[in-house]
Amino acid sequence: MPMIEIRQLKKSFRSLEVLRDISFSVERGDVIAVIGSSGSGKSTLLRCLINLESIDGGTVLVDGDPLIQDGVYASPGEVRAITMRMGMVFQSFNLFPHLSVRKNLTMPLVSVQKADPEKADARALELLKKVGLADRADEMPNHLSGGQKQRVAIARALMLNPEIMLFDEPTSALDPQLTGEVLSVMRQLAGEHMTMIVVTHEMSFARDVASRVLYMDGGEIVEAGTPDEVLKHPKNPRTAGFLGSAFA
Amino acid sequence: MKLWTLTLSLMAGIKTTLLLFLIVIVLSLPLGFLVTLLLRSRNKPVRWISTAFVYVVRGTPLLLQLMFLYLGLPFIPVIGEYLTFSRWTAALLGFTINYAAYFAEIFRGGLLAVDKGQYEAAQVLGLSRRQTIAKVVLPQMIRVVLPSVTNESVTLVKDTSLLYAVSVPDLLHFTKTTVSRTADPTAFVVAGVIYLLMNTVLTLLFKKLEQKYDY
Repeated sequence: MPMIEIRQLKKSFRSLEVLRDISFSVERGDVIAVIGSSGSGKSTLLRCLINLESIDGGTVLVDGDPLIQDGVYASPGEVRAITMRMGMVFQSFNLFPHLSVRKNLTMPLVSVQKADPEKADARALELLKKVGLADRADEMPNHLSGGQKQRVAIARALMLNPEIMLFDEPTSALDPQLTGEVLSVMRQLAGEHMTMIVVTHEMSFARDVASRVLYMDGGEIVEAGTPDEVLKHPKNPRTAGFLGSAFA
Repeated sequence: MKLWTLTLSLMAGIKTTLLLFLIVIVLSLPLGFLVTLLLRSRNKPVRWISTAFVYVVRGTPLLLQLMFLYLGLPFIPVIGEYLTFSRWTAALLGFTINYAAYFAEIFRGGLLAVDKGQYEAAQVLGLSRRQTIAKVVLPQMIRVVLPSVTNESVTLVKDTSLLYAVSVPDLLHFTKTTVSRTADPTAFVVAGVIYLLMNTVLTLLFKKLEQKYDY
């Protein structure tokens, strides 16, 4: 059974169709890179999966459980239970600025899942170590660099033990010299067989890490396949045109 | 010595003024936040009523509101006799309502300053609406609104002198009677210094709070 199955997903903002008839599935352990120019609908697609945007039609199954079936959402409780199986990393980090790094990680776990604060703290330190920031646990987010903030955000998303990680242009707000540290954490996650959907402009990440690449344009998936197929031998002239300008 | 005697003769008024200030601050801050939430309610009638409330209360003089509550309400046919308040109750009611409306607007501005991404992060991390408000939004809003709340509180200290209008004997009342009795304006100066002192302490306290919320 696919980890995520999307059929005929549709979404409009007023009269503007941002997603038209999107269908694809994600297998457990897949790393999907979604590429495309801005306005192609790739971020909206990601946001629909975790219920930050509502859709107008289609079906989304997560591990077989319907989040949306033929345009009808599951009950609020079910929607919450299903979206909680996903973690999300935002372009603008969205760390809680009033909480220390440590508290950014533990607060959701302690308030939502009523976890034992000490256990949450131990887990937080473990994850901070994983992203290389154990020594920054007591800093406030504003004292961190962009790359460090994004690594904290990744650790925070991992706190809730997601089965799927969604990344919405995780390096687009970073200076070029800071993208590497974030991408290497993401590579590490991919190496651990985390199921990931990554909206990105980082072609090297798409090429080296993704198991599949989706190229979106005008709210549709224009081309999908292995990185080799899509990036090196695009069949569709729109893909070729985008890649030409992206690499230029 | 003379100054000390003067201050002592104002003491009962100082107590009234301080008590009004404390009660009004303690009641109007949470009430104001409640109004802020109503202003942003999804329910249209609730939004209209709360918007109208803020519009009327902010747009008319506090002095008029106090007089209306104390002197005006009892004259309303039929229900007037149930709306007869003591001077003190009318004053507490008037001040609290008035300041709640101002605080509501200040808080509304503070909420606008909280980034949309904060709500989204809270949602994907599973926080309920209530948890999002309490753990994410409020602490960030407080930092933004503290300077304005300080300003409004300083105004409240001075506005307590409007108690004069509904004849509750406050600091200003005792000052005026003392000046009449002694035929000496020194009491006015003493009262001024006392108001200043109150505001100095208040401002220092809020500065401490601002430091606490600085991140």
